[in-house]
Amino acid sequence: MSEESAVPREPGPLRLRNSEFAPGKTLIMAIVNRTPDSFYRPGVTWDHQKALDRAHEIVAEGADILDVGGVPAKPGGDVDVAEEIRRTVPFIAAVRAAYPELVISADTWRHEVGRAACEAGADLLNDTWGGWDPRLAEVAAEFDVGLVCSHAGGLPPRTRPFRVAYPDVMADVLDRVLGLARRAVRAGVDPARIVIDPAHDFGKNTWQSLEITRRLGEMTATGWPVLMSASRKDFVGETLGTAVEDRLAGTLGVTAVGAWLGARVFRAHDVPQTRQVLDMVAAIRGDQVPARLVRGLA
Amino acid sequence: MITTAAVCPAPPLLARELTGRAVVLPELREACAAAVARLLASEPAAVLVVGAGAATATWDADDRLDLSAWAPGLRTRGNSRLPLALGLGAMLLDEAGFTGRRILQAVGEAEPAAACLRLGAAAGQLDVTAILVMGDGSARRSPAAPGHFDERAAPFDLAAEYALRDGDMAAVAAFDAALARDLMATGRAAWQVLAGALGERRPAGEILYADAPLGVGYLVAVLDT
Repeated sequence: MSEESAVPREPGPLRLRNSEFAPGKTLIMAIVNRTPDSFYRPGVTWDHQKALDRAHEIVAEGADILDVGGVPAKPGGDVDVAEEIRRTVPFIAAVRAAYPELVISADTWRHEVGRAACEAGADLLNDTWGGWDPRLAEVAAEFDVGLVCSHAGGLPPRTRPFRVAYPDVMADVLDRVLGLARRAVRAGVDPARIVIDPAHDFGKNTWQSLEITRRLGEMTATGWPVLMSASRKDFVGETLGTAVEDRLAGTLGVTAVGAWLGARVFRAHDVPQTRQVLDMVAAIRGDQVPARLVRGLA
Repeated sequence: MITTAAVCPAPPLLARELTGRAVVLPELREACAAAVARLLASEPAAVLVVGAGAATATWDADDRLDLSAWAPGLRTRGNSRLPLALGLGAMLLDEAGFTGRRILQAVGEAEPAAACLRLGAAAGQLDVTAILVMGDGSARRSPAAPGHFDERAAPFDLAAEYALRDGDMAAVAAFDAALARDLMATGRAAWQVLAGALGERRPAGEILYADAPLGVGYLVAVLDT
């Protein structure tokens, strides 16, 4: 880890839109993909109205952040800037109109898309591809929105890991995400709006994703809010030998470990189940008061 | 001489912090607060708090319950050895804003009736007019109760309710300690201390709450001579 990138910040509130979320408060970032070909339930929210219906549903389920993506992570047919904007930005505008205070995240690595998304009302730029486009941070600064600083192992967007090896994967994660966070702060992004993400599966084999899960405490110890994006991913499927439809329990196991180790934002397909896990872990950690207790107390 | 008494149950859930985000049994909490308010209406200089403990003993008046014994995560401070009933009695007095002198008297939960009556009679000689009695009915009132269901439980609790309502201290004095133990009625000894303190007098009683919503008989009453 380089010395420059190793500087932690004080654990403090995470600022998103008009809200501040204290450490100990966990947030669910619910996924709405404006794609015909994402890996889980492909095309389910490809239709604009179906995507809006899904937005209403996840808001009702208690999602804190809505994450809108227009390009699948996997390799595939080209989705250019204009097409990505066409897929995501009108939808962001519609969600913004329906929910003036909801935190909306735009899942994109491109600054042009990020700019259009912010103009439509996005509050957070979820840069899953690890700062591939350095101008994205400038957009975050310009609009005073949040930025997710992720580790993709230096891979270009929409590529799969090919025989990736790290002397120490967590050291590489910390080096890159803290470096990105510092770069973002230098670009003028509000430090309270920066989130770091180890990015499970991105530039990682399953052993490496298990390792960053096991050692997530090293990320949370930096003080930067940590996003965990593990929902139904391949490392869960490979670990359990399950297809994508049957990865919820595994995902929730990862969620519980991440929450226990102090992650604060959880990107999820399954909102109510994730909320229950987070509430349970928060109660175990002592971060949240349980709902109603009488057992042994009557 | 004791002239006024309040009787309240002593479940841990009376401590608001222990029940989580929900306010559990608000009617019971309100009845307890009302009973203590009635007790304090005469502005007593001192209150004698009586409740069951492992052994008969007087506790430091400044002692407070350590809730962490029930909820370690709360990391509260207090005397972890203070009997629950006394701690909750002190808590009710605190919540009512009582700042006067208090005496915390534990009565051994296994003390036979005669010993309880003697303890009460001795307390009646103190320069105290108000007594707060913390004790519960049977914990075997329903299949979901902590002690499961015992068909003798409801009649036992009803007898206690009627005796307090009627100011019938002789009936209280006659409660069977062995039956009370079988029924997990932890308030028996404290109630008999009250009977000892009031002696031959027949106070006017009023029941503010009598129910077993969680399978434990809760009885809230006020008595005035």
